[in-house]
Amino acid sequence: MTRAGVTRVKPHLNLGLDRFSGLYLWALFIIVFGIWTPRLFLSIATVHSIASEQAVTGMLGIAVLIPLTSGTFDLSVGATVNFSAVLAASLQVDQHLGMWPAILAAIASAIVVGAVNGFLVVVLKINSFIATLGMATVITAVQQIVTNEAQPPPPTSPTWTALSQHDVGGFQVIVLYMLVIVILAWWLLDHTPVGRYLYAIGGNSEAARLSGVRVGKWRWISLILSGGISGIAGVLYSSQNGPALTFGSALLLPAFAAAFLGSTQLFPGRFNVWGLFIAVFVLATGVQGLQFVTGVQWLSDMFNGVALLAAVGFAASRQGARPRRRKREVAPGSGQEPARGEPQDPPSPQNPDSAGTTIPEML
Amino acid sequence: MTEQVAADMAAPASLSVTNMSKSFGGTVALSGVDLSIAPGQIHALLGENGSGKSTLIKILSGYHLPDAGEAFIAGSRLSFGSAEGSYRLGCRVVHQDLGLVDSSSILDNISFTAGFPTRLGTLRRREGRRLAEAALARIGLHLDVRQPVADLSQALKTGVALARALREDAKSPPQLLILDEPTATLPHDEVDQLLGIVRDIAQRGVGVLYVSHRLAEVRRLADEVTVLRDGHRVATGPVASLTEKALVDVLTDGKLGEEIAPPVRSGLAGGGMLTVKHLASGALDDFSAEVSAGEVVGIAGLTGSGREVLLASIFGAVHREDGEVIADGQPVRPSRPDLSIAAGMAYLPPDRKVHGGIMNLSARDNISISGLDPFRRVLHLDRRAETAEARRWFDLLGIRPVSGIGQSLERFSGGNQQKVLFAKWLRRGPKILLLDEPTQGVDIAAKAELHHQIAKTASEGTAVMVSSADIEELTAISHRILIIRAGRVVASLTGEQVTIGDVLRQTIGGELEAS
Repeated sequence: MTRAGVTRVKPHLNLGLDRFSGLYLWALFIIVFGIWTPRLFLSIATVHSIASEQAVTGMLGIAVLIPLTSGTFDLSVGATVNFSAVLAASLQVDQHLGMWPAILAAIASAIVVGAVNGFLVVVLKINSFIATLGMATVITAVQQIVTNEAQPPPPTSPTWTALSQHDVGGFQVIVLYMLVIVILAWWLLDHTPVGRYLYAIGGNSEAARLSGVRVGKWRWISLILSGGISGIAGVLYSSQNGPALTFGSALLLPAFAAAFLGSTQLFPGRFNVWGLFIAVFVLATGVQGLQFVTGVQWLSDMFNGVALLAAVGFAASRQGARPRRRKREVAPGSGQEPARGEPQDPPSPQNPDSAGTTIPEML
Repeated sequence: MTEQVAADMAAPASLSVTNMSKSFGGTVALSGVDLSIAPGQIHALLGENGSGKSTLIKILSGYHLPDAGEAFIAGSRLSFGSAEGSYRLGCRVVHQDLGLVDSSSILDNISFTAGFPTRLGTLRRREGRRLAEAALARIGLHLDVRQPVADLSQALKTGVALARALREDAKSPPQLLILDEPTATLPHDEVDQLLGIVRDIAQRGVGVLYVSHRLAEVRRLADEVTVLRDGHRVATGPVASLTEKALVDVLTDGKLGEEIAPPVRSGLAGGGMLTVKHLASGALDDFSAEVSAGEVVGIAGLTGSGREVLLASIFGAVHREDGEVIADGQPVRPSRPDLSIAAGMAYLPPDRKVHGGIMNLSARDNISISGLDPFRRVLHLDRRAETAEARRWFDLLGIRPVSGIGQSLERFSGGNQQKVLFAKWLRRGPKILLLDEPTQGVDIAAKAELHHQIAKTASEGTAVMVSSADIEELTAISHRILIIRAGRVVASLTGEQVTIGDVLRQTIGGELEAS
């Protein structure tokens, strides 16, 4: 047994500052802003508004998270959520379709987007980052064709607005939908084989494949799920706020920020549903509080952007710790770092830390 | 070449090493080694794994500081510990992995190290090309320097690396070339081309220190040979005076005579559990074999023989170009590991970090990923059952620490990681177990445990195929050993024949049989 101190046991008196830092931060925000501007901040109305405003972000976060667990980026969720929102309204108002057929058509088209993403990534083997970025642009163009660049008027039927805004114990019902999606995603990722496969692919797709996991199939499915959830989120956004033409791109970054920030929480190093949930609301609480205090508009973007960079930077520094440790072992006992420009140990491509037992070595 | 050597007798030796010693901690890597290479001489350096060859090379290239001893390159004293210092005296090293950027052109690859000629910060393309072409011409190569390195054969890639190392440098002309296993990854038919290049280089008066394990090639190429064993120089002499057999004896201290009694097994019931017919993939040309239930078949072969891709292509991890794989009577589709597993196969890849384990997942998840069905309940996976299963295997294989079941795999030591991956497959009770370098980089105790598990699994009726570079391992656990050379099975050794010496002789080639 070498390094890798298998028994790197954490000290028992640990407040979980690492895993639960988000919760501490949340509490800190509530206390600070509660003291600073108690009348505005510490009201049940604030709670209600944060919850309903973040519902769509939370759903999109899940849409981003599911493919991310398998190491697949879906950058098209912003465009998809927008397209679905506009389509659901346009079909009702312009095409005079019933509400439910319009909703189903919107969600179905979002699922098609997911399926096409899957085709690009799995069959054509285009890097998911590029494939979904390209798709996002295509969807935006299709949306312009469909709407003729005019925002469709929101459907006026009360059932349409009630779809998201119906009152449930003071909260809009959309909050409940989000919770349902969060819980379903948690069940899927943590309690079914699908989740195991996705995490295995994300951890080492080749090892997963050699373990019998159908890597292509599951990545494809994760992108279809991502599309479908984006579609649902789009319909609900449309019902809640009206079919705006360009809201989607502004939701993409918060969704990714929440997923990455969430991956530093609860199970550090692992994209996880409840970490994402915490991240969404910590970010929203911070933004809301700062807006009460300063009233400036750019805060939300600044906050989300900085949070994303901080989260990813933090995750990267955790991972970076490992290779550095190995480097020091290269020259055992020589007690000196190799000078710059040194010929490194010929890095054995097969297995970096094996003794390189090839047949000839046996001679 | 001998005339050249004679003519240069007066000139100082390209390399002269005296009394070189180096220890790491308490381990002696080199002890009082002397070595001398005349200009134009090709001097082969031989030795087992851990004999001190790489330490010597690293000292000469400025990577390690020796504890004692001195070295002179073309008469100038080498000050240790600096790569630049060693370069300035004319020492050039080409490592086994060459260090080329495949996607860049030959020109760029040479210029990365030599520097791009520029005027006012702008590339002087024609001048760069002239320099690169001159560098190639120096070693007798005439190539279009604009083509990407990726398009070259392995021998020509090595040639480019050599040209880069030996490029003209007015301030420090090349005096000594160190080649570390240049042919290890070379297909057999390209070896001659490379040997020709090396001879050309030597003829220009450069001393060559040539490290290789291929005795036949050393005998064809080198003028002198030095053998290291456990850090000591045990022999130096003209190659012509040594037969290959004598070399093998010196290298291994006569250990080849000692035989490990192979587990001879007779009357294996049940015909072929695994049948492979005319398999072709990469270096593998035409491989056919049959493995019975309960049998352990070892696969031996040098690097480049096709051995490396054999098990992977049987399992479907890599592309199968041609041939058939039949598992327990059922044909297995190529490139579909999931179907191979469903057919009762299991495959342990050679590199656990890259292809074997999912290092950021827990040991438990790595074990259960091979089959989640036993843990499925109506709505969820039964975590407790998974943990119990993992614990059972931790106990069976002695995986430590037991408390680490839920810890990520990267936190375990190499041997324990390998045991976890064994557990992952053994829990399925596979009909066919394919093990690629099953004990690479694990300690002795873990190795013994894994060997025990291989024997036990076979005795329960599994057909086992073990591909390993470790011939001692093969002779210790196999009932039968197949030797692969140039992509085909050239011998099948059983019973009394299964000795290290026999296996070695067969893997290296026919020449030895005569002696």
